Amino acid sequence: MSNTPIIEVQHITKRFKGLTAVKDVSFSIREGAITGMIGPNGAGKSTTFNMICGYYPPTEGKIFFRGQDITDKKAHEYTKMKIARTFQIMKPLKNLSVLENVVASCYFGHAAAKSEREARERAMEILEFTGLFDKRHILSKDMGTPDQKRLEMARALATKPELLFLDENMAGLNPAETEAAIELIRQINRSGVTIFLIEHIMQAVVSLCEEVIVLHHGEKIAEGTPEQVMNDPYVMEVYLGTKGGAAHA
Amino acid sequence: MSEKVKAVRAYRRNVALALGLLLLVFVLIPVFVKSPYILNIFVLVFYMSTLSMAWNLLGGMTGQNSLGHAAYMGLGAYASCLLITKAGANPWLSAIFGMIVVGLVAGVIFYPCFILRGPYFTLVSIAFGEAMRQFIINSTFFGRASGVGLPFGRDSWLDFRFGSKVPYYYVGLAMVLLIYLLMKKIERSRMGYALRTIREDEDAAAAIGINPTKYKIMAVVVSAMVAALVGFFYASYIRYIDPDLMVQAKSTESVLPAVVGGAAYVEGPLVGGLIMIPLSEFLRAKYSALLPGINMLLYAIALLAVIRFRPTGILGWYMHSKTKKFVDEKLLRKPPVEVFEAVELQKHSGKEA
Ligand SMILES: Nc1ncnc2c1ncn2[C@@H]1O[C@H](COP(=O)(O)OP(=O)(O)OP(=O)(O)O)[C@@H](O)[C@H]1O
Ligand SMILES: [Mg+2]
Repeated sequence: MSNTPIIEVQHITKRFKGLTAVKDVSFSIREGAITGMIGPNGAGKSTTFNMICGYYPPTEGKIFFRGQDITDKKAHEYTKMKIARTFQIMKPLKNLSVLENVVASCYFGHAAAKSEREARERAMEILEFTGLFDKRHILSKDMGTPDQKRLEMARALATKPELLFLDENMAGLNPAETEAAIELIRQINRSGVTIFLIEHIMQAVVSLCEEVIVLHHGEKIAEGTPEQVMNDPYVMEVYLGTKGGAAHA
Repeated sequence: MSEKVKAVRAYRRNVALALGLLLLVFVLIPVFVKSPYILNIFVLVFYMSTLSMAWNLLGGMTGQNSLGHAAYMGLGAYASCLLITKAGANPWLSAIFGMIVVGLVAGVIFYPCFILRGPYFTLVSIAFGEAMRQFIINSTFFGRASGVGLPFGRDSWLDFRFGSKVPYYYVGLAMVLLIYLLMKKIERSRMGYALRTIREDEDAAAAIGINPTKYKIMAVVVSAMVAALVGFFYASYIRYIDPDLMVQAKSTESVLPAVVGGAAYVEGPLVGGLIMIPLSEFLRAKYSALLPGINMLLYAIALLAVIRFRPTGILGWYMHSKTKKFVDEKLLRKPPVEVFEAVELQKHSGKEA
């Protein structure tokens, strides 16, 4: 495993008008690993995520991908770099079928399909992998939240990423579905994809992540293994509330 | 398995047969219909539907509402007519020249609007049309308000000039078919997926690697070029153009067939054009003598009715109707979608079909 982190974030700050959503945050993501980010609502997790993914630039600070400065890269340049993301607030292509949603993704990115046939074939495989195959002819707007979350993931995977960003991809799932989603993420990681995820469900974070970063009020307050982080007194106080860590934040 | 292949083949044959018959009807119409009045309505249907398909590439597929298509059409008409009258160029080459000029103009004008998000495109498209019209009215080179006429003379394919309406009928039919096939091709291509993804969600589009600005420019250039082609056809048919070609109302007319037929479908402008244009002509002929403007009123009521009760247009209704079910299952014998997929997958894995 190489020593340069796949992503290195240096002192990023994001200000929205008067509000500082993220304040001087630095961390790195190790290649091949699953790294998690947790924190209470409004802590600045999605904002951090959006800056790294080029959705908007940081007000201050720099972001590196394998040593290369990508701070000013546009969102549409990421899949060419083999980086894909999902959105916390799902953005399905509402009036297209589930299959068409994924076919569209197969046409772009570093491994863009050359023909309609190739795009459709690859889309079918991904639908099978993500458990959406039986729903492929449904319009994506007609699906419930759990399936739309799966679709977010399927669309990201269709671009064949080496680095995958998941923003609360398990929110709204029941325990059985959560278990299935954890297994899916583990499988994706085993196939060689580095994963960075934001999650409120502690069970998922603990069982998946090797490293966890904790944000609070836009600042990084802890980082380490899930055990280290959970036992950090400050984290317990501001985030988990009670000692020992409840299952939900 | 081979049962499935047979079923799919039989269905494809039925569809080809149905489309072939439809085409045959259109090809035979001038043989039986001699009234220039009726033939004129058909020519009108052909070029207005083509213009509406051009609009639909932006409005329907990309979700960018243009209200300036009369201006692209007018500009295309002017560019080709002026090349014919001032430089004595061949009309067919002038058509290509007109398309290139209009494509370039549209690309350059709209590039800045697409960097910004929001309704800028629609606003600029309105302003663009009016600006062009004013510019032409005030330019001696463009013939000011009195317009430009194309020379009359003997019938000639080389000069695309005929006394009869029949040749225009066939060229119009060929144009509408060609542009339809082009739009169908775009829809299924990478560009088509990019445009529809942009229409649904620009952030999602960027997240999968689509550069929204680039694809919107591509769409506006193609759309404007097709409108310019329609402009050339119109000028050759009417043999006279003036700045009124670019009035705002004409741009709106290019939107109607698509919206009525169903803007989400490539076929929408064709279905809408086939219904709305004869209707509008009929109302004009029948009622405008009674009370000036009443035809427009009736037309507006018909339009509102369609939009109110069928926001997705006639095809939007048809696609989910029992009629379609009946046509597909009983007349065309369409196999279920799973059968198509099975055949598709089997073909790819290279097994004996
Ligand atoms: N585009 C924006 N404009 C203004 N304020 C914003 C914007 N996006 C986020 N914020 C604010 O920044 C803060 C951090 O938001 P963010 O979405 O990053 O939180 P989060 O940690 O992802 O929370 P959650 O767990 O609820 O998803 C919040 O106070 C939010 O209201
Ligand atoms: Mg969030």
